[in-house]
Amino acid sequence: MRRRPGIGGLQTAAAARDQYRLLGENVAKLRTDLMKEQLATFRSQLEEFARKHKNDIRKNPSFRSQFHEMCAKVGVDPLASNKGFWAELLGIGDFYYELGVQIVEICLATRPLNGGLIDLQELCKLLRQKRKHDREAVSEDDCLRAISKLKTLGSGFEVILAGKKKLVRSVPTELKKDHNEILELAYSTGYVTVDEVERRLTWTHGRAIDALDTLLDEGLAMIDDGHADGKHRYWFPCVSSISSFGADN
Amino acid sequence: MQKLGDFKLPHFFNYPPYFTLQPVRETREKQVQLWKELILDYCRTQKIFVIGLEEEFPLFSNSVIERTLSHEAREAFLSALISEGRAEWLDKGHRRCLILWHRIQDWADIILNFVKDNGFEDSVMTVEEIRSGIESRGTELHGIDRTILMRALKLLEQKGKLAIFKGTSADDEGVKFSV
Repeated sequence: MRRRPGIGGLQTAAAARDQYRLLGENVAKLRTDLMKEQLATFRSQLEEFARKHKNDIRKNPSFRSQFHEMCAKVGVDPLASNKGFWAELLGIGDFYYELGVQIVEICLATRPLNGGLIDLQELCKLLRQKRKHDREAVSEDDCLRAISKLKTLGSGFEVILAGKKKLVRSVPTELKKDHNEILELAYSTGYVTVDEVERRLTWTHGRAIDALDTLLDEGLAMIDDGHADGKHRYWFPCVSSISSFGADN
Repeated sequence: MQKLGDFKLPHFFNYPPYFTLQPVRETREKQVQLWKELILDYCRTQKIFVIGLEEEFPLFSNSVIERTLSHEAREAFLSALISEGRAEWLDKGHRRCLILWHRIQDWADIILNFVKDNGFEDSVMTVEEIRSGIESRGTELHGIDRTILMRALKLLEQKGKLAIFKGTSADDEGVKFSV
């Protein structure tokens, strides 16, 4: 179209822009409304689902973990607030707060023995012993969730990985990669020797000694010089769970 | 759980590093604490009054994990008990150690209760009678170590609760209660 000169042309162009904008807004609004509607439907469905399977969510740890996963995918956090609909419906917030408190208690009680590092499985075991009056089972997933909530308190609770194993740290010690690798190595027997660390991780003598000494200083390792071969063994209470260390196990 | 006779051993007894005196202070403090409790518990339930550092003592080694406490460790654990008034060296060389799972004062109280329970307030007894007589059977005083008993009796003597008088030999030392 040939561009017409003059004020009339400018007005027409402005009017057309307005029309486009209006149309665009309408389309956007329609889409948002539709989206809102869908979300509302979804939410009510999720609520209905939660209500229907309330008991399963409470009693069955693996069901609970899958429910959490589903919630996370649609951006709902049942633990975000204790006052919300979810908490009222499921009492799920209280459940995790209680777990959190018990986890803190266990970590504090075992700290003198393990230096503030405890194997997740061991923690779960102690947690179940502590809650044996409770019929509701507790899974590792529940523990991890409760711990992630503790993190917001800034108390330094954290889950660290030593290979495939998960350890829960309740002291502010910063563990370096070297230390994690030693812990991972210790998982099979409960202890390591300096030789073993040098050989298996192909480290220098100095590096091995340095890392092991740090672990000793932090109270995470204990030394044992009583073995017949005369080699010092470094034991890690957090991986060999001394509470279950006995002839009956 | 591993047992020594009818005594249940704690878990740490099977964890090898607890048999090595720990170099790091905090870890060692915890270790010493656990050993102190174990030694006192064991002696109380088994009625053991004297531990010889160089002699066989069931707690000093664990054949299951093949670990034995060094002399240094034994002395460290017993010294910790001594610093709390729960043990005393019997000799200057630190070879024999008296274990006080009841403090001398507590033993004295036990004697006083024994006297009152049996109506011996104004009676005369020999030391041997207190240790092995019919009256003390079934009480904690039965079979009590002579050294501990004499210490407790002397404490009571100082308080005017009794008088100790000597016979012709150590066997017939006597006590006159005046509670």
